[in-house]
Amino acid sequence: MNARLDSFSYDDDIVRKFLFATIIFGLVGMLVGLIVALQLANPAFNVSPILTFGRLRPLHTNAVVFAFAGNAWFCGAYYSTQRLLKTRMWSDSLSRFHFWGWQAIIVAAAITLPLGFTQAKEYAELEWPIDIAIAVVWVAFAINYFATLAKRRERHIYVAIWFFIASIITVAVLHIFNNLSIPVGPLKSYSIYAGVQDAFMQWWYGHNAVAFFLTTPFLGLMYYFMPKAAERPVFSYKLSILHFWSLVFLYIWAGPHHLHYTALPDWASTLGMVFSVMLIAPSWGGMINGLLTLRGAWHKVTEEPVLKFFVLAVTAYGMSTFEGPMLSIKSINGLAHYTDWVIAHVHTGALGWNGFLTFGMIYWLAPRLFQAPLHSKKLAETHFWVSTFGILLYVASIYSAGITQGLMWRAFDETGRLQFPDFIETTMRLMPMYWVRVAGGTLYIIGTIIFIYNIVMTWKKRPAAYEVPVVTAAPLSALPAPQHAKSGGLLAMTWHRKWEAMPLFFSVMVALCIVVASLFEIIPTFLIKSNVPSIASVKPYTPLELEGRDVYIREGCFNCHSQMIRPFRFETERYGDYSKPGESVYDHPFLWGSRRIGPDLAREGGKYPALWHVRHMENPRSLSPKSIMPTYPGLLSNTINFDGIQKKVDAMAMLGVPYGDAVNKAPAMAREQAAAIAADVLKNGGPAGLGDKEITALVAYLERLGTDIKKPAGVALAPSVPKAGGN
Amino acid sequence: MRSIADVVGASGLSGYAIVALVLFFIAFVAVLASVLAPSRSSFYERVGQMPLDDLTPQTPRER
Repeated sequence: MNARLDSFSYDDDIVRKFLFATIIFGLVGMLVGLIVALQLANPAFNVSPILTFGRLRPLHTNAVVFAFAGNAWFCGAYYSTQRLLKTRMWSDSLSRFHFWGWQAIIVAAAITLPLGFTQAKEYAELEWPIDIAIAVVWVAFAINYFATLAKRRERHIYVAIWFFIASIITVAVLHIFNNLSIPVGPLKSYSIYAGVQDAFMQWWYGHNAVAFFLTTPFLGLMYYFMPKAAERPVFSYKLSILHFWSLVFLYIWAGPHHLHYTALPDWASTLGMVFSVMLIAPSWGGMINGLLTLRGAWHKVTEEPVLKFFVLAVTAYGMSTFEGPMLSIKSINGLAHYTDWVIAHVHTGALGWNGFLTFGMIYWLAPRLFQAPLHSKKLAETHFWVSTFGILLYVASIYSAGITQGLMWRAFDETGRLQFPDFIETTMRLMPMYWVRVAGGTLYIIGTIIFIYNIVMTWKKRPAAYEVPVVTAAPLSALPAPQHAKSGGLLAMTWHRKWEAMPLFFSVMVALCIVVASLFEIIPTFLIKSNVPSIASVKPYTPLELEGRDVYIREGCFNCHSQMIRPFRFETERYGDYSKPGESVYDHPFLWGSRRIGPDLAREGGKYPALWHVRHMENPRSLSPKSIMPTYPGLLSNTINFDGIQKKVDAMAMLGVPYGDAVNKAPAMAREQAAAIAADVLKNGGPAGLGDKEITALVAYLERLGTDIKKPAGVALAPSVPKAGGN
Repeated sequence: MRSIADVVGASGLSGYAIVALVLFFIAFVAVLASVLAPSRSSFYERVGQMPLDDLTPQTPRER
């Protein structure tokens, strides 16, 4: 059959742009990671109020996830998509809008996070104007991507693109719903969800951000670049189909395993665990498919650094995706949660899977994009071994740290009392391991610098003008799907073969899959009242406490301190009564935390006098000589914006927090409470003049934590409807 | 006045999570069976070659 042939070329300029953004922001994100690692090993590295651990830690995670891995995904996706679809991107302008918009968002994050503008949700810290910008840029990317699919010249849509489609759709859904908030200022907002619901939404988002930003897009890259580098097709295309659908089906459910033994309803926690365990099957199917693509070509691994990086990346994927389901099992999670074990798990994935896949991909791309041979294969080999050794040092030390601290927290002596009642004792035990982590991270970064040097030197050898090959291919017919996909039964998979050539329908099915799964968990969490029994004595924060809570959020205290005591004896002995769902019904956002670098603060109120907190915030080591907490002397001089509190109270009232009189007189109420705290501090020998300083707001908040439930009527009310069961 | 949360809470959804689990497990098994069932492997062999050829469509319109 004769057909008209189109002539076209691929847009590699956009690929080169994303490549450079990847290596630049990758180095930045890793260097910030090294700084926060140093800050944990020695608090003297907290050199400035805007460069404390609490503010830099989210900058590190955002830079690595969205700037490094994000740009790497886009780099590989723009290269592979055009070639797999035999077409140029639909709009070069939208491609550039995507690139520059994404980099502007990264810069905005790099400015706002150290300045303390944060929503206090992990991996979703960015404030509402930046969230809107992300949505706009994402829509532009999606339009360009789906329009490119529509004008493709290849009937079948290759499996790598399925992973990209699923990622684009799911990230959009996650981003929009987790970031719904009420603005109270140009860079300040409150989540519309509170307490249990907010925690659930956050970890539905948080886990799936890992799944659909760090896993599925990189699997798409694996399915394209691994065959390229090995010069042979993927081991089993059928297995890739199974891998895709089972991942998409299962991943979306797994988020609640981040909240085991918290105030989340037990049924949701169990459901998350079951689906997480099932995830082993597709994950290992994918790993095996990736590694076996090298069948008959293993000898090339010894010669080709690209393949070395890929093999280690896929192996790290297998290790992480075995460990993840193990960590989701409640009994294991009971030991690992809040410890460095989780940090080690994350870094096996980030440094090994995402990092090495990106390095391998760029080593493969650079000679082709810059039309010059790689500057030095030997340097690439050196990079591989230096960074591999860095990963080993990092994860071995931090696994040890996590397990050590987890075991110390739960140890009882022969008299039945906590063996290590002083939290700082468990922290000090980790110091040697923290220094080994610094060494491991440094090696990884040295490897990355070698990599960047190698790529830049390759780029320098580029021709004066890039050659742009012209491709010719016939446009797709408007006729129905080809004959081979028209017949066959269920098991012959002809139905799926039709889907594989119908991007819009395919996308709808993916969206349906993740939305239905999400609703199965979200609807009961939000709508079954017995999941969150109310507690009569739990009242909204006073205006000053609310202001203090915002100081707590700004300084990123939740990065080191949890506010969620689990129902274990070793937790209740150390911190007090376990946390109840009804205690955080007014917490917009929830501040349960995910890591205890310092002790839990859920029952901090009433433990110490106000002056203790003032001294502690001014210099923690004046009270606890071995503390690794940063100093916050600025809180004793920063002035409270009393007039701004009214707007915050009004926003909370709009969200349903019963503020009553405070709606009209929040500043006056805040001034009155601040004056009382300042007088108490002065009476006990503390500094004068704190009545309008931020420290009084923070003290008010800390003194309130966990105290409501101890007041009269502090009993869980019976649900207003018969208990539906299942929780 | 009863809220929607009261109504949903009283509607006896205790088996809801299990139903979801079973539904998704069935879907998983169905996909597994379909993938493992014998079919036209030549098609998948051909599309598996797609990353290896940047210039020539493997499934153009005439096929």
